Amino acid sequence: MNAYAPILVLGALAAAFAIGSVAMAALTGPKRYNRAKLDAYECGIEPTPQPVGGGRFPIKYYLTAMLFIVFDIEIVFLYPWAVSFDSLGIFGLVEMVLFIATVFVAYAYVWRRGGLEWD
Amino acid sequence: MSVPDTVHSLWTVAASSTTQTIPTPHIEYGQLSPMLAVFGAAALGILAEAFLPRRNRYWAQIGIAMAGLVGAFVAVVVLAAQGYAGTKAHLAAMGAVAVDGPSLFLQGTIVLIAVVSVLGFAERHLEPRSSTGAPVDAFAPQAATVPGSDAEKSAARSGFATTEVFPLTMFAVGGMLLFPAASDLLTMFVALEVFSLPLYLLCALARRRRLLSQEAAVKYFLLGAFSSAFFLFGLALIYGYAGTVSIGGIADVVSGTATPTPALANTTANDALLLIGLAMLGVGLLFKVGAVPFHAWTPDVYQGAPTPVTGFMASATKVAAFGATLRLLYAAFPGVTWDWRPVLWGVAILTMVVGAIIAVTQTDVKRLLAYSSIAHAGFILTGVIAMNKAGVSAVLFYLGAYSFVTLGAFAVVTLVRDAGGEATHLSRWAGLGRRSPLVAATFALFLLAFAGIPLTSGFAGKFAVFQAAASSGATPLVIVGVLSSAVAAFFYIRVIVLMFFSDPRPDGPTVAVPSAFTATAIALGVLVTLGLGILPQYFLHLADQASVFVR
Amino acid sequence: MNPVNYLYLAALLFTIGATGVLVRRNAIVLFMCVELMLNASNLALVTFSRLHGNLDGQIIAFFTMVVAAAEVVVGLAIIVSVFRTRHSASVDDTNLMKL
Repeated sequence: MNAYAPILVLGALAAAFAIGSVAMAALTGPKRYNRAKLDAYECGIEPTPQPVGGGRFPIKYYLTAMLFIVFDIEIVFLYPWAVSFDSLGIFGLVEMVLFIATVFVAYAYVWRRGGLEWD
Repeated sequence: MSVPDTVHSLWTVAASSTTQTIPTPHIEYGQLSPMLAVFGAAALGILAEAFLPRRNRYWAQIGIAMAGLVGAFVAVVVLAAQGYAGTKAHLAAMGAVAVDGPSLFLQGTIVLIAVVSVLGFAERHLEPRSSTGAPVDAFAPQAATVPGSDAEKSAARSGFATTEVFPLTMFAVGGMLLFPAASDLLTMFVALEVFSLPLYLLCALARRRRLLSQEAAVKYFLLGAFSSAFFLFGLALIYGYAGTVSIGGIADVVSGTATPTPALANTTANDALLLIGLAMLGVGLLFKVGAVPFHAWTPDVYQGAPTPVTGFMASATKVAAFGATLRLLYAAFPGVTWDWRPVLWGVAILTMVVGAIIAVTQTDVKRLLAYSSIAHAGFILTGVIAMNKAGVSAVLFYLGAYSFVTLGAFAVVTLVRDAGGEATHLSRWAGLGRRSPLVAATFALFLLAFAGIPLTSGFAGKFAVFQAAASSGATPLVIVGVLSSAVAAFFYIRVIVLMFFSDPRPDGPTVAVPSAFTATAIALGVLVTLGLGILPQYFLHLADQASVFVR
Repeated sequence: MNPVNYLYLAALLFTIGATGVLVRRNAIVLFMCVELMLNASNLALVTFSRLHGNLDGQIIAFFTMVVAAAEVVVGLAIIVSVFRTRHSASVDDTNLMKL
């Protein structure tokens, strides 16, 4: 049972932090409501109800979403490496640095060509 | 806290062995250097695209691409000279990449194709200059703009250029170098996608007739993604059958020499996994080579894509995909030859006959060449079916010969132009021989090589594959091949007659004077076509030396 | 539970995806069907990995996910550019080239 103690402690800490921050915000924050604050939170697009005919979304949203997917999915290779990092040693580190550098090449292109500018 | 022994060892590790080390993998960078040079050039090209000012990009991209390709070619030659094509052939990068004769031969061929293609992509003398006086190439000024919109017009006026085509091409070339060398199915799948995705994009980038170009890209993309999904499911089934995806491991399991395990005994009891898996892998590969019945995309994509891209795609994709097909059938599945050979017989016969017959009815030069490329895929398949060493060397030789004829032919197509861009309708080519004898004669030479007339590379290639097929007892296949060659020769000769023996139309197209780039590309095409036609022995010998797979 | 059932599910999903590609008309839906086929392959790979007791299949599934994401980006870029030109994503409308 001892082996599971850290997990329980971590769970308790996480719950305490979550409840604590919500409670702190409610207790200490100023309460000035407006329309935007009362809306349901959805990133990028207008929340429901949608206008007749489906409405139009700004295409910027899709560009950002696609960039997010590409860069996000690269992380998938980091997990197996991170799990066995200590046994792969310096070789794994070098290979991973090469991989990240390659990803950053794409990032530099997106950044310089204005793919990250919202307006 | 005791773990019952029956629990699977996958997700449980005994608590005492947390410090166990995985044997460190090692990667032979030297032996992978052809691919690394090309991918490095691609990444550098992206950085140049990001940080260089617009006016410097064109020359920088050509320099980077050429440097990468020359470096890759030198690396291939050095590796071959060190004996990796023969005695030292082995598996690099933990068994993922085979460095052997077929790999190096095909990689050399693909790199040379890429050099000629980059020359074609760099051509800026054919299109009229933009209003600011900047020379423009065959690609859309700004691919993101809607065709016919004000944004497109203003981009065209400012002389913008999509110099991204060079890095995209380099990524495609890198994938193509990896594809025939891949020694496990996963590497093969990743390489397939790495070279396909840039090609989908390149198809959509034509400057003129952008609707056709975008349509070609959509068709190519949807069908390509469909076929690679088949390839992936085939991969999964083969993995299920053999418990491994490495070419050598699969061959061992198929031939029954692998170490038996309970799981293997269970899965290999069911041949359905093996046969359906192999069939689905075959669908993915035959789609890429454009064999009937997986050819439907070929004419539309060849017609709609920018012509330099069509030339690149028609030659390099075929080389890479046939290389992978050879490795799969000869190195991984020789144990089930009797199962796949009859199917490939049917595919080869259909491909030759359908390609040759439908080509007769075509009225557009690019579609004509597309159907001719389908017929040629059939001819190459007869060499694949031979299933002997002569078959491998014949296919290697045919691929080299065919790809330079194709590059040259499509380069000539870019020269014949009228006000709307390239004049690809065959009727517009009437009397071209009177107006511009040199260009017409060059095109006629390429057509004769396609037809397989002696003293051209096409004859030597066809002779080699048919001989290999006949020596393995596939005589009916050879007869069908010769007959459909005759049908194919009919429409090639018809175009030649049209060019030389009919009167030029008064409003006919003009032949543009190209820059040194396209001129060099066409000259190289002519040189290789004649060289491989007149002196095939040397190259056949080279291909013969390079025809042993390592696994 | 018998792991073979997961294989039946994978085959079923793959077939649904393939059928979708063949019968649907909207390029986006076609594309989603292709993704379904890729994910069916992933399910089969992971199941086989469990059957054989080695990790190859799970690693391949990672690579498939990355490839699928790259394909999404390229595919959506092409489809969106066609949509902006024609105001339609129906593959029946891409018919400028015929035999």
